[in-house]
Amino acid sequence: MRKLKCILTSKPFVTLCWIILLIVIWEIFASVVAQTKRTPENVMPHLSGIIESVFSDKKINGSQTVLEMVLENAAATLSRAGIGYLIGIVLGFVLALLMSLSGVIEKIAFPYLMLIQLIPILGMAPIINAITGDIAVSRIVIAAILTFYPVATNTIAGFKAIEPAKHELMYSYAANKFQIYTKTMIPFCIPYFFTGLKISAPMAITASILVDTLQGGIGLGCLLSQSLKGAMTRYVFWDIVFFSALIGILSFYLMGVIENLLCRYKRAGGSGKKE
Amino acid sequence: MPDINRNDVEIMLDDVGMVYTASDGRDVQALTSVSMNIQKGEFISLLGPSGCGKTTLLRIIADLIKPTSGKVLIGGETPQQARLKRRYGMVFQSAVLYDWRTVIKNIELPLEIIGIPKEERHERAAKMLDLVGLSEFERHYPRQLSGGMQQRVGIARALALQPEILLMDEPFSALDEFTREKLHVDLLKIWRKTNKTIIFVTHNISESVFLSDRVCVLSPHPGRLSAVIDIDLPRPRTMDLKDTAEFTALVSKVRNSFEGV
Repeated sequence: MRKLKCILTSKPFVTLCWIILLIVIWEIFASVVAQTKRTPENVMPHLSGIIESVFSDKKINGSQTVLEMVLENAAATLSRAGIGYLIGIVLGFVLALLMSLSGVIEKIAFPYLMLIQLIPILGMAPIINAITGDIAVSRIVIAAILTFYPVATNTIAGFKAIEPAKHELMYSYAANKFQIYTKTMIPFCIPYFFTGLKISAPMAITASILVDTLQGGIGLGCLLSQSLKGAMTRYVFWDIVFFSALIGILSFYLMGVIENLLCRYKRAGGSGKKE
Repeated sequence: MPDINRNDVEIMLDDVGMVYTASDGRDVQALTSVSMNIQKGEFISLLGPSGCGKTTLLRIIADLIKPTSGKVLIGGETPQQARLKRRYGMVFQSAVLYDWRTVIKNIELPLEIIGIPKEERHERAAKMLDLVGLSEFERHYPRQLSGGMQQRVGIARALALQPEILLMDEPFSALDEFTREKLHVDLLKIWRKTNKTIIFVTHNISESVFLSDRVCVLSPHPGRLSAVIDIDLPRPRTMDLKDTAEFTALVSKVRNSFEGV
């Protein structure tokens, strides 16, 4: 009996239950929607159809299959998101560093940091586009802006979470500012920094796709809106939805993997207590 | 017991006082008129209940805060000069270890800061680790150690710079009684081997009697030095000492010296 309970509450089992439940709900809705028959093509296709479309070798625009098309556009969007993400990380970290170095900078910068975060990206996009004059560049800039805020705030939170005794210790060693940062503050805030990275990785991707939809060109979001407007098969839309969800989740886990590689002490565990 | 020249004053406190301004604007007298001399190589306890200013006094000596009145001299220098010459080793209530560094790297930290080359750094840190009896845990991370072991690493780290003065702020108060008693004996052994001047802040009467040459009793409201009691128990001291009549007598003498608690 206890063994059964163990299996029922285990993580893989719970996950499996969720997946089955979601598939069942999906299929019920797909069947309901199929009966309405308002459109030539089912707006909410069965999952089997979506999977089939991924592997189908039917050329949908004369030269590319659905998969080729999605991947080509994904490459464009993800590279923009990636570049923006990296820029955002660097800027966020540097700003956090400056804010911790100087109380004046913190007081000046923090309200504006909050403000940037409060403006919806779709409202910001046209302004950025007008400033940069190039939609591809503004897509990168927006990914950077979205990344920047979680990275900066989490890193600052890390700097502030350092126990005072660590500072007193460095003070008793008569350590200089550079040593205080490199030996104590920066290593200490790495897990906080990674919390920021994990939050903003899927956000940068989402933002890139969203901003894609504003104008044409190459990109997942452009493809998405074309498909949604019926310019091409509905399956493209669903393939993109699932593909970007997958990439978003993977980007989150990738950050966790990198963090674990960097922080070996985290893997050391706490079970080796003796004495 | 190492030879102590009784006239070799290491720390001189002259009429030291500390006034804080509380958040409501009133002045709070944390410490009034503390005067005393601490000899080189002496083991001194600052004993008292919370609010008696014992930690404040330690922090004044450590140059973490400046007294609002009076004078402190460390071997003829100001606390700041002494700190800049790295004459202090600090041990805190928690071990304050760096999670991301292995035990040996934690001890190497102060040596890195003063720019000791890698080879020598490791050698010196290993020696300190041996002194606290944790050589086999060199490559462990702090979180893999028990509280008592972590505190030993903290002591080894404080000794790494070979400071003349060890400042300990309730270092064993978070440990269980068994671990604490063991660390008392170990600390005395380390003290005998290294011949440091130790200032040990505690609120545990029997601990202060067991460890110290002299117990400085501080009383609160306002924080002041109410008695200095010589502990002339023989050394080296072992756990058995705690069962003797002399020890018990000294404990009650210290207890009776408190004022206004």
